[in-house]
Amino acid sequence: MKTDLSPRLRVALYGLLCVLLIPFVFPTWWMLTSSVKPISDIFAFPPDLWPRRFDFSTYAKVFELQPFARQYWNSAYIAAIVTLGTMVVSSMAGYAFARIKFPFSNTMFMIVLLGLLIPSEVTIVPLFQMFLGWGMINTHWPLILVPVFGAPSVFATFVMRQFFIALPGELEEAARVDGLGRFKIFWLIALPLAKPALGAVAIFTFLHSWNLYLEPIVFLSSTQMFTLPQALTQFTDAYGGAMWNIQLAAATMTAIPVLVVFIIAQKQFVEGLAHTGLKG
Amino acid sequence: MSLMTETPPRKRPFWTMARRDAAAGYLFIAPQLIGIIAFVLIPLCLVFYYSLHEWNVLANTFNFVGAANYQMLLADRALPQVLLSSAIFSVGLVVLNMSLALLLAVLLDQKLKGITVFRTLFFSPVVVSLVAWTIVWSFLLQNNGGINGMLAMIGVEGPNWLRNPTTAMISVIVVQVFKNVGLNMILFLAALQGVPKELYEAARVDGAGHFKQFRRITLPMISPTILLTSIITIVGSLQVFAQIAVLTQGGPGMTTTVLVYYLYQQAFQFHFFGYGSTLSILLFVIVAVLTFVQWQMRKRIVFYEN
Amino acid sequence: MAPVSLRSIKKNYGNVATIHGVDIDIADGEFVVLVGPSGCGKSTLLRMIAGLETITEGELSIGDRVVNELEPKDRDIAMVFQNYALYPHMTVATNMAFSLEHRGASKAEIAERVNWAADILGLKPLLDRYPRQLSGGQLQRVAMGRAIVRNPQVFLFDEPLSNLDAKLRVVMRGEIKGLHQRLGVTTVYVTHDQIEAMTMADKIVVMNAGRVEQIGAPLDLYDRPANLFVAGFIGSPAMNFIGGRITPEGFAAAGITLPLPAGNLPASNAVYGIRPEHFALTDAGIPATVLLVEPMGSETQVSMQIGEHQVIGIFRERLRARPGETIHVLPDLDLVHLFDADTGQRLN
Repeated sequence: MKTDLSPRLRVALYGLLCVLLIPFVFPTWWMLTSSVKPISDIFAFPPDLWPRRFDFSTYAKVFELQPFARQYWNSAYIAAIVTLGTMVVSSMAGYAFARIKFPFSNTMFMIVLLGLLIPSEVTIVPLFQMFLGWGMINTHWPLILVPVFGAPSVFATFVMRQFFIALPGELEEAARVDGLGRFKIFWLIALPLAKPALGAVAIFTFLHSWNLYLEPIVFLSSTQMFTLPQALTQFTDAYGGAMWNIQLAAATMTAIPVLVVFIIAQKQFVEGLAHTGLKG
Repeated sequence: MSLMTETPPRKRPFWTMARRDAAAGYLFIAPQLIGIIAFVLIPLCLVFYYSLHEWNVLANTFNFVGAANYQMLLADRALPQVLLSSAIFSVGLVVLNMSLALLLAVLLDQKLKGITVFRTLFFSPVVVSLVAWTIVWSFLLQNNGGINGMLAMIGVEGPNWLRNPTTAMISVIVVQVFKNVGLNMILFLAALQGVPKELYEAARVDGAGHFKQFRRITLPMISPTILLTSIITIVGSLQVFAQIAVLTQGGPGMTTTVLVYYLYQQAFQFHFFGYGSTLSILLFVIVAVLTFVQWQMRKRIVFYEN
Repeated sequence: MAPVSLRSIKKNYGNVATIHGVDIDIADGEFVVLVGPSGCGKSTLLRMIAGLETITEGELSIGDRVVNELEPKDRDIAMVFQNYALYPHMTVATNMAFSLEHRGASKAEIAERVNWAADILGLKPLLDRYPRQLSGGQLQRVAMGRAIVRNPQVFLFDEPLSNLDAKLRVVMRGEIKGLHQRLGVTTVYVTHDQIEAMTMADKIVVMNAGRVEQIGAPLDLYDRPANLFVAGFIGSPAMNFIGGRITPEGFAAAGITLPLPAGNLPASNAVYGIRPEHFALTDAGIPATVLLVEPMGSETQVSMQIGEHQVIGIFRERLRARPGETIHVLPDLDLVHLFDADTGQRLN
């Protein structure tokens, strides 16, 4: 489809792209600017694309109304552990399913793939009961254990397996001749070469954990333990009405760091996603 | 060198190369396999077991009732509305998501300066926290919010988006599409760029125009990606929860109460764990059937597979 | 350095037997080439020696050890792979040092060995590069460097030149041979190219369909192929085969009788084999109709028809015949091969 475009077509294309871009970019802009508007200006008419008056006290209020720093830390460390844990569990399983011959490997792969069919929403009731029995309700364990070992990591395992299947067998054979056993082949040869796939897995997993909402509201009950998505919905006044500017300040603090990391690393980010086994 | 005498058959050590390797294989998959058994298979069996019970956590009752919950499922007057909402949501989401993703991918596949900037921006909502994104849209969609403000400036009176049955569903779908379409867009873009150039050159030599090239070459060549992304998108659409909880809480009425949201209400707001489990089984069956059907359709819609 | 011996080696995949009992003795320091068409089992055999494939039955020894159940790393072998199998994420130097590092060699020793190998193969300027920055010939050399650095008992080569262009292949052929002469390490080399086999080997093992057809020095195989398969496989262009019957008057083929070498040959159905280069142009020999003349410069290759059989001849002379003309040729009777028509075994 790639042909050189005529100048007129080029301008038209730029125009079309810019219009299409509005719903993708405007909300973030609106969030940023509204978070520093005083509450009285927030529904001003006509809408202000740039704040008339700045009120940065919203950001301080976020921390006064809730243990926001603590909640931020909760989300961050859970996402970090889940990401790291999934990378370990899925790369090992994906590698074994792709490259090691052992009896019943296909059957076991099918069992693991069942995880794709059974989203955590289906099993949320018994999971709640299980964690209740283990005394893990209102702890972060369910938010770590289920994603790392359960259904959400299956997709990562699948991506890793697709990658390792394409790895030339000769490399492993050369490593065996060079004196490496299975674990060292995996650690020193296969894994370093799997960086793009691991990157994609890390991104998916981090975002999944960072965005978890149903699980935290089911498993967590005290504000100290809340994660960010849960905390964001708690900025309400005595009547349950949303305190928009404060909520948007909290949302901004939640969204912007990840967005900045993404924009800095967008090349690796996007290409990592594109070049995994997702192509079929 | 010479081996004149017959050697007796050699005893093989127990840990042969193949056995050592198999042991390594089991060790490698053990964490994942045990995890799936513990956090997926056992809970799935439990869900089924629970679904045969009348179980109210508040009243502390747990009685075997056989298929009563399933009869209740059939008699549940709210359920048709829930399933309809789920269907409208999923179909609307998948159709809108896939076509927008394909359109964006085709546009971004052109030779144009600064195209990667556009790519980054279209993708950016994917990395924005889901609840943050939804809160912003919720703010924008308020009756006196940003969108109606903009519309008023050009003399249009916008509806109360989240309180009107029709626009509420549209809003929920559209918010979710803008959030995640970047992902499918990137996968389509990669697939488009993987189509060998010679095919287009050959088609041009054969006299095929742009539209024909797209229909006869591009679509068949990227059909495996289309299938895969459609499966992921459909299954994903059935899991949508946070967006509904933040934007509409299932309302107005029950117009945006999709199955997962209904399940959550029954189990964790009304504490009917038994009936909640029955709804879980229903969700599982729907996901399984849809995946199976799509997998079967693979042969018919995927023209090409490597 | 060590001898290698294969005793009744068999390989089954499930119920399918692919190697049907192979016996080969490789002397200390010998350069042995396993050659055969693709699918004949030569690569499987090499991989069994390396330890990359299990041995279903039989006994494999390297030196005085039976190594059937030893891991590749414990067999003291080094292997050069078809696609080189260099680790893409390591530099040339790290690639070469990798195996030594995993055998607990000291840093000084590793540096010394890598230097020594790099010197021999002219890799010094490339040590800090990554494989993706190297050309095909350079990759090949690094793969060899990685093999020699460890000073193993046996070198194994799996079609190492098949990814190079024709010119480079000839150069690398010479280098591998030179390396062997210099280091004297026992070498097993797999190829499907009989010219590589002829030019490099001390001893050739011709394989076909999981069996050894013949083992011998290159010229022995050329001069006295044991059966039809070897006769057809060794030599290029291939030996001409003419089916017919041995009679007291000569070899009776369709439309022609060919002269037979002296000696008592029982009358039977047989195949008459003569290499293209063993025809001579004469004034009064067997009449042959010219079909196609291909001048090569140093020699002339002629497709011609003798009786009802089409054969190829190669002559030192510059033949001016045109298609359709008749020339006269004589096979060199000392170099005629006769094979049993049923078993394919050599008769003379």
